[in-house]
Order: sequence, then structure tokens, then C-alpha cells
Amino acid sequence: MTQLKTNYQCIVIGAGHAGCEAGLALARLGIDTLMLATNLDTVAYCACNPSIGGTAKGQIVREIDALGGQMGINTDKSLLQIRMLNQGKGPAVHSPRAQVDKHAYHHNMKLTLENTQGLTLRQAEATSIHVNTDGDYIVTTAVGIEYGAKAVVLCCGVYLNSRIIVGKMIKQCGPNGFSSATQLTQSLINLGYTIKRFKTGTPARINKNSIDFSVMEEQKGENIPTFSFMSTQPRNSASCYLTYSTQQTKKVILDNKQLAPIYSGEIDGIGPRYCPSIEDKIIRFADKQRHQIFLEPEGDNTNEYYVQGVSSSMPADIQYQIYTTIKGLENVQIMRDAYAIEYDCIDATALYPTLQSKQHAGMFFAGQINGTSGYEEAGAQGIVVGINCARYLQGKSQIIFRRDNSYIGVLIDDITTKEGNEPYRMMTSRAEHRLILRQDNADIRLTQLGRDIGLVDDDRYNRFIDKLYKIHQVENYLDTILSPAVIQPFFDLLGENQLKTGITVRDCLKRTSVSINELFNYLDVFQDMDSQVTQQVEINVKYKGYIDKQLIQIEQAERMESRIIPTDIDYGQIKGLRIEAMQKLDKIRPLNIGQAGRISGVSPADITVLLVYLSRGKG
Amino acid sequence: METIIALSTPIGRGAVAVVRMSGDDTLSIAKKVFAPFPQHARVMQYGKVTVDDFADQAMCVYFSAPHSYTGEDVVELHLHGGVGVCTAVIDKCIEYGARMAQNGEFSKRAFVNGKQNLTNAEGIIELIEAENKLQLASGMNLLSNKLGKQTIDMQARLTDMLASVEAMLDYPEEQLETEDLPSVLNGLMDISKQLQQLLSTVKTGRIIKQGINVVIVGASNVGKSSLLNCLLGQDRAIVSSQAGTTRDTVTDSINYKDITINFVDTAGIRKTRYKLEQEGIRRSQCAINQADIILYVVDNHNTVIPNMDKPTIKVYNKCDLLREDKRGDYVYVSALNGENIVQLKDIIYDTLKIGQIDMSNVILTSARHVEVLTRTLNCIKSAIDNSTDNTADCIAQDIKEAWMTLGEITGQTSSQDIIDRIYSKFCLGK
Repeated sequence: MTQLKTNYQCIVIGAGHAGCEAGLALARLGIDTLMLATNLDTVAYCACNPSIGGTAKGQIVREIDALGGQMGINTDKSLLQIRMLNQGKGPAVHSPRAQVDKHAYHHNMKLTLENTQGLTLRQAEATSIHVNTDGDYIVTTAVGIEYGAKAVVLCCGVYLNSRIIVGKMIKQCGPNGFSSATQLTQSLINLGYTIKRFKTGTPARINKNSIDFSVMEEQKGENIPTFSFMSTQPRNSASCYLTYSTQQTKKVILDNKQLAPIYSGEIDGIGPRYCPSIEDKIIRFADKQRHQIFLEPEGDNTNEYYVQGVSSSMPADIQYQIYTTIKGLENVQIMRDAYAIEYDCIDATALYPTLQSKQHAGMFFAGQINGTSGYEEAGAQGIVVGINCARYLQGKSQIIFRRDNSYIGVLIDDITTKEGNEPYRMMTSRAEHRLILRQDNADIRLTQLGRDIGLVDDDRYNRFIDKLYKIHQVENYLDTILSPAVIQPFFDLLGENQLKTGITVRDCLKRTSVSINELFNYLDVFQDMDSQVTQQVEINVKYKGYIDKQLIQIEQAERMESRIIPTDIDYGQIKGLRIEAMQKLDKIRPLNIGQAGRISGVSPADITVLLVYLSRGKG
Repeated sequence: METIIALSTPIGRGAVAVVRMSGDDTLSIAKKVFAPFPQHARVMQYGKVTVDDFADQAMCVYFSAPHSYTGEDVVELHLHGGVGVCTAVIDKCIEYGARMAQNGEFSKRAFVNGKQNLTNAEGIIELIEAENKLQLASGMNLLSNKLGKQTIDMQARLTDMLASVEAMLDYPEEQLETEDLPSVLNGLMDISKQLQQLLSTVKTGRIIKQGINVVIVGASNVGKSSLLNCLLGQDRAIVSSQAGTTRDTVTDSINYKDITINFVDTAGIRKTRYKLEQEGIRRSQCAINQADIILYVVDNHNTVIPNMDKPTIKVYNKCDLLREDKRGDYVYVSALNGENIVQLKDIIYDTLKIGQIDMSNVILTSARHVEVLTRTLNCIKSAIDNSTDNTADCIAQDIKEAWMTLGEITGQTSSQDIIDRIYSKFCLGK
């Protein structure tokens, strides 16, 4: 009789957007991995928007993809529509955004997990974690089976002690009525983690047949590259619709303000400012006459539509009244109510920027449990945890993503350095090196790293090398000098000035009116060149001044990052540090001076004192 | 580390002034202003320091990292004393990428780079602590003084603009009631004007701190040196009846009322075949460029006075030789018997309306403030000048840089402030 296998190299708890990337990375890097989920129907479940990407988040998905992650590929496989936001506002803020079929997204990801060698997917609620005398992690499940592993990854999402709130109804459960995990938090407390309580919310889902699309503005997809560098042109046919709230909406909410749990004190979790409920928006921004609302399809095989902009925790009957006041939703048929959800998460400053616990070697955390929000933010942490956990088990050095090489680096540095008091959402304004961290060059920034780590397969790597080669080819051509006779007719068409001498292709491209594709068309060169290659070259030429400035800033920042702080430093021994700075430094225990300088409450003068102290050690 | 620069000798008079620079780009910057650059470290080299409108003899020595006071590459430029040359050289180095050092920054770097022993390190921590208290005090002062208020106000307006632009970039699908790009640019122009106005007080600030530069010019042998001696009340310059006696510029200062007046006597301007005198005349031109006021000295009414493009006082010397009724539109003085010398000083004092300066207005006197505000202005100009060609992401970068730069005065540099502003100002989110 065979025995049930209960020993693995690593156990991943949770199979949401973080867990999936973590589990896949671990297994692909050769780690024998067990993935547990309270319910396998929640694998990669899009509990909120049926949408992946958007500003800053689109860049993150491109980065996950460039490293050899799954989110981009899975999005392309499940695509309903794709668009590029911020076109015309500059390449630094171009952001791809996709509508996905949420059911297809779940199925595609689940099937990928199921077919991945070395990955065991198992429905089970983890009820406790403890460390045994050998230093192994023992994870006990609700049905009483104990699993053991050298490392454990927590990707519990919003399921820890979660409760959802609709008016007076408060129910212990996870998103969409899935059951929550009620026991695991206690293990985390026992292990010494500080637990915070955050809140978020989601709008109602409504039946397509009850929507009057004729009064709304249709928003179609755009012909842009796929999300993944590996996909071919996907389906892109669905539409979203834009409509507005009305004066009536405002009236209904103000008349029923006292019933809103957030104002009656029923909700004590801290909600994000960027995901306000409709009652929040109307009460806080009383002057605003109308709020825009997007209707997004949830999938091909359902009539359900997601109503972006109308999250609420009002009682169900009030919600219904609110929805009927929206233009085009007069006859709305709500299929699932909007709700607010509260959940436990940890203070991510308990983690190193590798996402490994400072207290427990081999224990990693990723996703909403770290106080972030969003599928993309979760996926980003998932792949990092997968990589670092695998390397931990293989005795390799940990990988720290940097603020100057990725949004992933910005995200992880922020959450492990600054104590957040609301769910953390990525924004392009958080990235000080935004002009470098673009969606179009994610592969150039990260694919080599992904290859070195072992997640980038030959197919992806060969395509990447081919792209680099082509970029090099085109860049070599830039120093070609064009005589006035050749280029003047083209300049005349654009209204450019008369040339007296020859001009290089590079200098032509520097002119705002000259686009690389038109120029190459005119010169009849590189006609078959991949547009992503020419675009890359064009951005490097046109934005050179600003890119160079950022490179200088990066170099300056690097000097602080390269000053390592010894892990055993005793901040209490440093004369001259202010008490607040000493406490903060001792809590966060930054790895280097750069990170120390980003801790709130640590002043430049404190950093000087720290530098002096460190230099004393040398002498 | 960033390259820092400062005058290491006391501000003001002195035969020699030492400007010191430390940091990564020290050598490359120094090579741009001084030639021939010394071939070896720790060997003093004689040569010329060259900035835009003049060259002057100087000496230069450099120390390679880590064998220097700070442990970094260090250059010392030994210049002629006096304010003009030093300021011009420092300005030029800043233009090439150095920045003004903060108080004690050279010493701090020395400690940070491990150039000092443990006992000294204990001392420096106390020093830093003391400095913090000072900074705190001056920070409080910043809040209560007008420069601080203006800077904080400007930065608050930049925060608003950035919040608008950033909200627009991070929330492209929201129809925000934000300022659009043109109105942000208008706001930037306002700030640009305000900065220019502030920076225009630099001259006044310099005068208050360093004195009025009065340059005495005129044809040879009209008695410029005698006039200088008379104004100073001492024999400073060599006087003779022979034309061309003064070959080099002679500088000295007096305190008059509440201000310092720096007098510069120059070689008489005339065509000469003497090399030395030619050099003297070239230096006169250089002194004129640095002048706040020019005393144009004549000894007859037929001299044509060229337009000097600076406040010019026409001085008629040797009035003891002139009959009273022949006098016209000149200040008539006699260096010989001291007639009207006090009146001349009054006229100098009044020309720049020193007595009318409202000391309660913002007057920039700190080189660091001037440098920060100039850099801020450059970022804002870049945003405005490139606004037609640039996309919003670049414009935002310029504004952000201006905002960060101003933060060096106000201490506000965390981008979380901007994000907070976005959410308090706009209704955002799904």
C-alpha cells in the first residue's frame, strides 16, 4: 500500500494571483512543491475587476512576463479586449490594460498549474503552521493531514479571518461567498507577526439584458501588441461601456447615509483611498456633479457585467435604488450584490526585500497578505517569492529587485521599508525612474535576469536575443548621413526647415515631427522590421536627454544602495541617533543606506550619523 | 559622491583666496577652469584660471583619493584675493556640475570616508548634533522668514500642479476636474517669474554681504590713484605725474554708513606699446565687468565719456584748478585738497539706493539658496521651453525635479506627499 505523500520541499498556501506565480516559479526551478487552496475553484480568481493591467499595473505584468512568469500569457489566452492607456502622453506612462474572461482566466491558469511538473495542487484549508525541532515547517490542514517542508510560502490573499459586509449583514467569508480561513491568523500571531486589518470592496454584477447600452459610450479594443512577449495576436473583440451617475444617485445616497456601515461604525478596517465606495465618493466629493462608471463584461459564457465605480457596502435594497439611478441602468437586474470585505494581513516590514521573513528563514509572504492590493501587485510578489524561495532551498543567493530596474523593485522596496496604513496600489508616480521603467522595455530590463535565474526558456530567450540583435542593427544605421537632396523632400512634407548640410538619421529622429516608421518608409529601409524594435530605437533617440538625466539620478542613488549595513548592527549603540530614528531603523533593519534613507522618520542627519558610525568600524 | 565646492578662506579682502573642491568630478571640472593642470598630485602648479570674461594667474594643486583631507579627489585653487575672482570661479565650477558645499560638509566627508580616527569621530557626532539643532533653529527661522514662506508657497503650488499632472497620468480614464496642461504651464510661468524676481535680489544681497564694487576708470594721468587714496584716507596707490604709473588694479575698502565700499583703481586706458601696461588695461576691463558703480574720472570738460552700461558717476578731478562758474554736470572733487570727497561717497551710497532697501523684503544672501533657486528655475524653464515638443511624462519629470530641488530648502522631498495630495484633491478609483 502506498503512503500519502506529506513531505515536500516547499508548501505554498493559497492559489490566487500571488500563489500561482509563486508555485509555478518554484516548480519550474525544480522545487517539489505542494499548493494548497481552500477551494480549487478560487485558483487565479478575479474577485474584483475582470481586468488585468492599467497604469503601472500593465508595466508590472510586462515585467512578470519578461521574467518568465505566467500572468501575461494567461491574460492573452483569456483576452476579451486590450487597449493601451495614456497614448500621446509619452512612453513612460503607456500602459496596456486588458479585459479578460474571468472564468477562462481561472480555467487557463488552473490547467497550467495542473500540467506543471513538480507542482501538486490540493484543495485543503491550512489551519496552522509551526516549526518542528528539525526546523521544518509543519502545515496542518482542516481535515487533519500534516504536511512538512523546508520552506513555506504564504499567499493567503484576503481570506484570513475575512468577513463581507452588505448593510447590516456581516458574514464570515471570503470574496464572493467562498469560505474564509479562520484559524491561520493565530499561527501567525504565535510566530510573532503583527496583524493589521484592511478593507476593500467590489461593486455589483448585473445582467447584460437589463442594460440600456444605447445611452452609453462604447469603448472598443485597440490594435496593440499582446500582453506577453510570447503571444501572437489574440482575440480583441469585446467592448466596455461608459456611463454616469446622476443627481438622483447623490440624493439616494445622502438620504440613506446613516445606513452606510462605514459611517455607522460597522466597518473598522482601513480602506484604500483609490478604491472608494460610491457612498464615499459622493460624501467626500460633494461638489462633483456626476461620477463616471464603466461597464465591463465578465466573460463570454455569462451575461454578468462588472460595474466599475459603484462599490458599496450599503444594504442590498439601497444598492438597488442607487444602481437604478445610473444612466442606462434604470431597469437594472442585479445578480450579485456589491460588498465590502475586511481581512487580516501582516506588516510587510517584517520581511526582507526578498520577501523572506526576517524572523524565520525559509518563510516567505506574497500578495494581499502583505497589505497590497491588486492582482498584478500580487503576481509580482508571487514570482519574486517563487524565485527566492527556490534559491533559498538550493543554497543560492537571494535576488533583490531594484527600484531602478523594475516596478517590482519599487513595490517590494516600498512595502518592506514604509509602514503602510492602507492597501498599497502601484502608481507610476511612485516610480522615481519612470522614464526607464517602461512597458516597452520590460524584456530588455529583466529577461536576461530571468534567464540567469532559470525561468526564461530557450524559446523566449532566443526571441529576446533576436530582438536585441535587431535593435543593434537599426541603431547602427542611425549614424548614416543623409544628404539634403535625399531628405529635403521628406522635410518639406513635414514643414521642417531647409537643410544646408547633410544630417544623420539620428538627428532627423530627434525632431518631434519625424516618426521612425514614416522616415524608414520614405528611405525604404527596414521595411519588414518588427515595430517593437523600431519603437525601442525611436524612444531611445527622442527621449535621450530625459533618459540620460534619470541615468545620472540612478547612479547617484546607487552609491547609497551600495553601502551595506551589517545585519548585526545595534542601533541602540549609535550615539547621536534620534530615538525615533533608532526605533524605526531597528524595526525595519534596512539592508543598505539607500533603504535606510527611505524610511519615514529617518532624516538625512540620522543617515549622516549612521554613515559616520559605519565608517568608524573600518578605522 | 557629488562634487562640492566652497571658498575655504574668509570672505572678503586678502592677498590670496583658496577655493576647494571635493568629489568624483573634481578633477574634470578643475581641468575646465585651470590650465595647465598639474601633472602630479600634491605638486603646486602655476597657471591660468579661465572663466567666461576673464583669465587670471592662479595656482592649483590636487590630491587623489583616498590621499586627501576628505578621502575623495580634492582640488585647491589659489586665486587672487577679493570677491570678484572667487565668485566667478565658483560660479563656473557650479555650471560644470559642482554644487555649493554645506557647512561642515568637507569635514563630514572626511569622517564618512574614514579619514579620521575614533576620537575625532566622537567629536564629529557631537558636531553634527549641534548642527542639527542649528538646522532645526534655522528651519524654524525659515518658516518665519519671508524667503522660507515664499519657498514653501512655491513648493505648495508645485505640489498642486504635480498632483494634477500625476493624477492625469495615473488615472487616464477618469474625467478629472484637474487643471489641464496649459493651465499648469501658466502656473509654472508665474513661479518662474517669482524665482527670477527672487534671484534678482542676489545683487543686493551680495552688496549687503560683500560691499559695493566701485571701479575708478578714466584716461591716464587724470588722478585716479590720487582719488583712490583720498577716498580711502590713506596712501594705498603709488601716485606720480607720469601717465601709466598704475599698471595693475589696486583694490581696497572702506566702511561708509552701514555698507562696505570696495574701490578698485585701474590702469588708465590708453594705447600703449608696453606689454605690462596692456595687461593692466585688460584687467581694468575685467574690473569694469564686475563693477556695481563706475567712477569715470576726467580733468577737463572735453573728454567724451563712453556709455559703460552700468551706473556711472562722472567725476571731475582737480577742481581746485577750475573756476567755480565753469562747472557743469559733474561731481567736482579735488583729490589734492579733499574737496567734495564726502559728497562723492554720499552719491555712491545713494546711486544704488542702499538706504532705501527694505530689509524686511526677501534678499538672497546665502550662496546655497541662490544655487538651489537657480537649479529650480532651470528645471521649470526646461518644462516650459519644451512643453510643445515634450510629452506629459517628460514635463512631469521636469516639474518633479523642480519640486525636489525646492525641497532642499523646505525639507519636503517625499513623493508620498504628492500622492496624498492627489487623493485629497481628486475623486478617483473604481
